[in-house]
Amino acid sequence: MITLTHFLIVSACLFSTGLYAVLARRNAILVLVGIELMINAAILNLVAFGRYDKALYGGQVFALFAIVLAAAGVAVALAIILNVYKYYKTVDPEDIRNLKD
Amino acid sequence: MNLHLLSILIFMPLVAALLMFLVPSSKKGVYKYIALLIGALQLLLSGGMYHLFHVKGAGITQERLYQFSEHLPWIRLDMGGMGRLEIDYFIGVDGLSMPFLVLTALIMLIAIGASWNMQKGLKGYFILLMILDMAMMGVFSALDFFLFYIFYELMLLPLYFLIGIWGGARREYAAIKFFLYTLFGSVFMLLVIVGLYFSVTDPATGAHTFNMLHMMDPANYVPGSLFSAAAHQELFGISARLLGFIVLFIAFAIKVPIVPLHTWLPDAHVEAPTPVSIILAGILLKIGGYGILRICFSIFPDAALQSAWWLGLIGVISIIYGALVALAQRDLKRLIAYSSVSHMGFVLLGAASLTAEGTAGAVFQMISHGFLSAGLFFLVGMLYDRVHDRDIYHFRGLASIMPRFTAFVAIAFFASLGLPGFSAFIGEAFVIIGAFNSESVHGALPRWMALAGSLGILLSAAYFLWTLQRMFFGQIRLKGGDEWAKALTDASPRETLVMVPMLVLALVLGVYPALALDKINASVLALMELVMNTN
Amino acid sequence: MQTYPLLAASLAIMLPFAGFLLSAICGKRSKNGVIAIITISLSLLAAGYTFTQVWDNAPLHVQWHWFTIGQQAFHVGIWLDNMAVLMLLLVPLVALPVHIYSVAYMKGDPGLHRYWMYLSLFCFAMLGLVAADNLLLMYCCWELVGFASYLLIGFWFTKDAAAQASKKAFIINRIGDAGFLIGIAIVYSGFGTVDIQALFGPQGLLAQSTVAGGQWLVPSISMPAVWLTVAGLAFFLGAMAKSAQFPLHVWLPDAMEGPTSISSLIHAATMVAAGVFLLVRVFPVFNETTLMVIAGVGTLTAFIAAYFALTQCDIKRILAFSTISQLGFMMVGVGIGMSHVSLFHLVTHAFFKCLLFLCAGAIIHEMQHLNQKHQLTIDPQDIRNMGGLGKYMPITCATMLIAALALTGFPLTAGYLSKDALLVHAFEWGALQQGAAKIIPYMLVIVSVLTSFYIFRLLFKVFFASPAYKQPIGMNVKIKEASWWLLAPMLFLAACSLFPFFTVNPLNDGEVWLLQGIAPLPTLPPLRLLHLAIPILTTLTTLLVVVVTWHWYTLGKYPLKTGGFFYRLSVHQGYMDAFYHVTAVQPILKLSRVLVWVDRQLVDGLVNGVAALGRTTATLAGWIDRHVVDGVVNLIGKIAWGMGNVLRRSQTGRVQYYFFVLFFIILVVLLYHIIVQA
Repeated sequence: MITLTHFLIVSACLFSTGLYAVLARRNAILVLVGIELMINAAILNLVAFGRYDKALYGGQVFALFAIVLAAAGVAVALAIILNVYKYYKTVDPEDIRNLKD
Repeated sequence: MNLHLLSILIFMPLVAALLMFLVPSSKKGVYKYIALLIGALQLLLSGGMYHLFHVKGAGITQERLYQFSEHLPWIRLDMGGMGRLEIDYFIGVDGLSMPFLVLTALIMLIAIGASWNMQKGLKGYFILLMILDMAMMGVFSALDFFLFYIFYELMLLPLYFLIGIWGGARREYAAIKFFLYTLFGSVFMLLVIVGLYFSVTDPATGAHTFNMLHMMDPANYVPGSLFSAAAHQELFGISARLLGFIVLFIAFAIKVPIVPLHTWLPDAHVEAPTPVSIILAGILLKIGGYGILRICFSIFPDAALQSAWWLGLIGVISIIYGALVALAQRDLKRLIAYSSVSHMGFVLLGAASLTAEGTAGAVFQMISHGFLSAGLFFLVGMLYDRVHDRDIYHFRGLASIMPRFTAFVAIAFFASLGLPGFSAFIGEAFVIIGAFNSESVHGALPRWMALAGSLGILLSAAYFLWTLQRMFFGQIRLKGGDEWAKALTDASPRETLVMVPMLVLALVLGVYPALALDKINASVLALMELVMNTN
Repeated sequence: MQTYPLLAASLAIMLPFAGFLLSAICGKRSKNGVIAIITISLSLLAAGYTFTQVWDNAPLHVQWHWFTIGQQAFHVGIWLDNMAVLMLLLVPLVALPVHIYSVAYMKGDPGLHRYWMYLSLFCFAMLGLVAADNLLLMYCCWELVGFASYLLIGFWFTKDAAAQASKKAFIINRIGDAGFLIGIAIVYSGFGTVDIQALFGPQGLLAQSTVAGGQWLVPSISMPAVWLTVAGLAFFLGAMAKSAQFPLHVWLPDAMEGPTSISSLIHAATMVAAGVFLLVRVFPVFNETTLMVIAGVGTLTAFIAAYFALTQCDIKRILAFSTISQLGFMMVGVGIGMSHVSLFHLVTHAFFKCLLFLCAGAIIHEMQHLNQKHQLTIDPQDIRNMGGLGKYMPITCATMLIAALALTGFPLTAGYLSKDALLVHAFEWGALQQGAAKIIPYMLVIVSVLTSFYIFRLLFKVFFASPAYKQPIGMNVKIKEASWWLLAPMLFLAACSLFPFFTVNPLNDGEVWLLQGIAPLPTLPPLRLLHLAIPILTTLTTLLVVVVTWHWYTLGKYPLKTGGFFYRLSVHQGYMDAFYHVTAVQPILKLSRVLVWVDRQLVDGLVNGVAALGRTTATLAGWIDRHVVDGVVNLIGKIAWGMGNVLRRSQTGRVQYYFFVLFFIILVVLLYHIIVQA
């Protein structure tokens, strides 16, 4: 039997993978991928917990909403990365240090 | 009839100063002529006033006996809980101040004459001289303590600059020393003035007042106030009135000067340019003596009698100390400066005697010393102008090359050492007689002080004659050799013109002292009465 | 009726002053002394007229208001009694010959115009002094006399010795002046007046004052009795300086640096006479103590000066010491209460001492000529360089002999009358005294022997001894008798030095008209025998001394060795000058230098110390301001900056690092929640 715990473990694994990607990858695209993974971990959680809301299906509704948002976010993020690449000729976040004081 | 003569006399130099301010500084020749004109006018005016001055004008405590007086309300402030403030423009002359006004006018004229060849910064120099003139005239005529203090402090400023800018090598040191010494005295004076202000009320309006005449009347003191004679207040364990007297006395005594508060004098005199030395010796020192009589003695007569012994002692010490130190000087100007200390000691001794003879003698001595010391400094200036040296041992036998100059010096020296026929004799003789008489009259001074004072007469002969012998007699021997001999020309007509009136005046006053004494007597008697009646 | 004598007296006083003014105005244009001689002659005439009108008549008094000080009025006035008119006559009588003498004597001097000017001033001052009616006026003239003498002694001011001598004279006289002034102060303090007649007259205030119970009771107030003594001593101090009494006599020998004609005037009637005159004027102020002091000092002076005169070689110095000695006699006269005799001796002494100096001047004049003619460099005043002059200058020699005899008190001279009167009175007085005072008359006799000795030593050495100058210049000596300009005054004074001028009976001083005119005081009990014994004694000793000195000096048989202690003491005038230099002059100069040090180091040091203290405080305050107050502010800033600097390091600029921190913090918060909540 697949319980809620199984969903949560998968979700935690997904999130950890995404977190790793965000913190350690040297490519902005892959960092973006990491973010997507973390969002999807959250969506998975939403869906999993959705079973406790049988009346309104809030979990499913928020999951759909989050997917749309993630798609929009990816579009914007890709555009930023594209521009960053244009400007710095690289997408390695290590090389972009203009935030330093 | 009030023509405001006194105000005109006081503020005439201010007009001249404004006029000079407008003249562009490129026209160097103009300033001295303006100054000379004003000086001559002032002398004329003060001489006329002296002539008009009525001999019965005793002054001292009574306003109606002051002459040429002007009394206008100046500052009136309601200060709420602290009462009403009352400051007047109150001026007037009596027998104590009248001779000094003439003396001031005369000395200023001489000082202007002595500045004739001045080269440096003429505009500023003459403007400062005029301001100084105004301040001194004001000091001698102010009867409101606040007004007096303003004039008194106003004198300091021009003098500081005159010494500090136009002086000799150590001028800055001398100027600051002079300034600090005098400021030291006057700051404490201000405290006493404020104390008096809060103790005294105007009987007519009931407001606190700075009017000196009101301060002289014990009835005007607020009961229980600090300086009220009846209240017997004490400060630091001594009577407040005595303390007030001492503080005021020290302020004026610094000007006189007394030993040991005298060391500003030699430095200031030596470093000051000749005209300023003349003014310092001729008038400034007299302000000290005048202040002691006019303010210390009149406002605190009880304390005056109480401390007469000490004043006499200080006088005697000044006489002998000044004379002995003068004996050891090499610098002619220093010698004369110390002789001033000695001669002004007589003023203090005479004032301390609290007898009519002694006090009148003291006033007379001040007048006499006024133009004699001015003359002496002028003579030293003549020598210094020629060779820029004043060391006694660098000259010898000057009588052979400068006979007229030597005659002037000899006459001035003998007049200063108190030869009868010259004014200083009358002053010194009556100071000694008065000091001697003091014990018989009220026992203020012991008789030995008169004996000690006469020692000063002896010592003054010693240092003056020794100087005469060293510098003027004997074979010619000059440090600068032939160059000096050429430079040392005899007195020029301008210098003769300056010197002769002073020596003639010394002679006239010596032969006919009534000329000054007649005007002084009534006031001196009134002052003595004031001192005697309070006890 | 009384106006004319007073007018004449005023004229007599003011004429020399007019002469002084005129000479001063004319300056160098008037060198021949015409003004001075005319004014002094007129003054003499006026004084003579006054004398005839006032002598032995009621005294005249006139005064004008001078000035008022306080409530006390002071007057200028003339008080003409016998004493005053006598002196009023004496001064121009002696001064006129001196003036005439000076015409020839001072001829060719470059400063001649000054000479006449000073001379007139000198005469004016002395005339004013004798006629003054109050002490203050007298004091003025007294000092003017000193001033004029200063000018005249220092007349040749290019000579260092003259300049020093004049200074010395004035300063020593100032000591006396101070005494006089204190005397005036005491009298004024006691009586409230300085009028001579009111104070010292027969019915004067001093006569009315009494001493009782240690208090001096004067009409108005009382003073401790000691002040009466002090007053007397103070006046005497004045007289001591002016009349050159020991120990203040040192100025007079030095005053010989002035022209000889001036010396003659100073020694005769103008300067030194003033002291004696003062004492006679204020005589009532002296009590027993002061009189004894006066007599003692007078005797001591007479003796010491005579002793110093014995060995001097400068002709003028011998005469100077002789004057001091004679003044000592006069002081004794005052001290024994016979002040009129002193005054008489003053008058006779004025004539013969003036004459002695004029003779000495004539001799010095000739010696200078000798110097010039033969290019010698001998000292023209040293009697050792003279000798045998009697042959060339017989009239000078004769007049000087008369003067010398008068000095020794030889019969038929004026000096006999006055000096023997003094001696006799001294013995009369001595008979009444106890103790040491008894030796005073005997001392005086010894002094008169010494007097004879030194004056005849001088005479014989100058006129009769074998001339010392013959050796260098051979027999061809060109010394002439003095010119008549010099001789006439000398002859006149010689006549005055003889008895007829004073009395018809040359042997009895009791008949002298002058003494009778000024002897108001109670006389001493007379001892008849003395009036015979003393003159005979002095005459005989004088003769003896003449013989001895003739042997010693004229014949050159001097028996004694020179160079002994007493000889050296006399030659160096008792080392008085050196003594004063060590005990008075040097300590005063040293004291003055010490005081200068005090002034510079202590008083000024204190002032500078206060200033330095102020500066140090200011520096300290500045340091505190910079380091403490500012330090705190800076520290706060530094801390903020340092913390910022540390935190800055977290700003790496790496996005992933920021993320890491972000997640880390969230993790910590979560863990905290989980652990704490659990």
